[in-house]
Amino acid sequence: MSEQEKTKVMFVCRTAPYGTIYEQEAIEAMVMFGAYEQDISVTFTGDGVFSLKKGQDTSLLGKKNFSMTYPILIDDFEISHIYVEKESLEERGLTESDLATEVEIIDRNTLKQKMKEMKALLPF
Amino acid sequence: MKFGILIKEGPYMHQAMDTAYNFILAAMESGHEITGVFFYNDGVYNRCATLEPPRDERNIMKLLTELELKGVRLIVCVAAGKRRGIVNQTVCKVEEISGLGQLLELCITSDRTITF
Amino acid sequence: MASFVYNGKTIETDDEGYLQNLGDWDKGLAEVLAKQENVELTEKHWKLIEWIREYFQKFQVAPAIKSLTKEVMALENLPDKKEANKFVYELFPEGPAKQLAKIAGLPKPTGCV
Repeated sequence: MSEQEKTKVMFVCRTAPYGTIYEQEAIEAMVMFGAYEQDISVTFTGDGVFSLKKGQDTSLLGKKNFSMTYPILIDDFEISHIYVEKESLEERGLTESDLATEVEIIDRNTLKQKMKEMKALLPF
Repeated sequence: MKFGILIKEGPYMHQAMDTAYNFILAAMESGHEITGVFFYNDGVYNRCATLEPPRDERNIMKLLTELELKGVRLIVCVAAGKRRGIVNQTVCKVEEISGLGQLLELCITSDRTITF
Repeated sequence: MASFVYNGKTIETDDEGYLQNLGDWDKGLAEVLAKQENVELTEKHWKLIEWIREYFQKFQVAPAIKSLTKEVMALENLPDKKEANKFVYELFPEGPAKQLAKIAGLPKPTGCV
């Protein structure tokens, strides 16, 4: 399928992990969407950036640690880009070195432009 | 315009389903097309067949079934449903249960995908 | 829900034969689960069982079929995806993702293969 024929869809992860199921079910959707040969990107903004924080240990919560899944989204599940909003990181005192996987850090204005290019945005 | 609808919240606790319902009606009245309504996260509870609110309250399940009779396609995510007990025996209509691929399909075939 | 006794312990599965308690899994139980699938486990099966269990443990999700194919190409020195696909279907004729997950004691895949 040519790049022009692909539909651009962006997951917008806005909520911190574990307090709700949004992060987990967003990942389940990302992993499924990968199989359909579209142009799928994932953006972390607001409290969503906490999902990428390194060194999470969920054993006492009895929940799965999904920060371990992000590093393979691009290679194994055909996700095109993982973006993190620069301002959201800064507002929470985080830097790129705090993150569990390689990402593209973009500022709010650039993110706005990227969102405009999308056919659909899926907020979680 | 073609609108795809994603519902992430369950009935009554959140306004999401009510707002979506009003949006869908208004869109259809204005001549727009609804490509489908996909229920994800707690949204799947909106299609629980045993909902029985007091008679003097709006019955969200019935409102949705009316939409379906008007030709709106309702799709309940199988994985989110299983996790919450919305399965063949408890869903309003077994045919509505389908996979996440249907959500992507809505994104592809709709001019706008709106999340509630 | 179904159940059977293995090593004096009752093992519960869902109607399709997937383990209810993933912690029940051990290599002997894999043999039993394989037999229920009419699959005879060889060294080639075991390599994939170990790989998929490790993958699931490490990344918290089941691999895409693409990753399975890639792994098979590397493990078995196969030239392309087509050969690799043929190979996994010979090992797990009823659908590699489903049968491999079941025998390896992983949850039922939410995908379709």
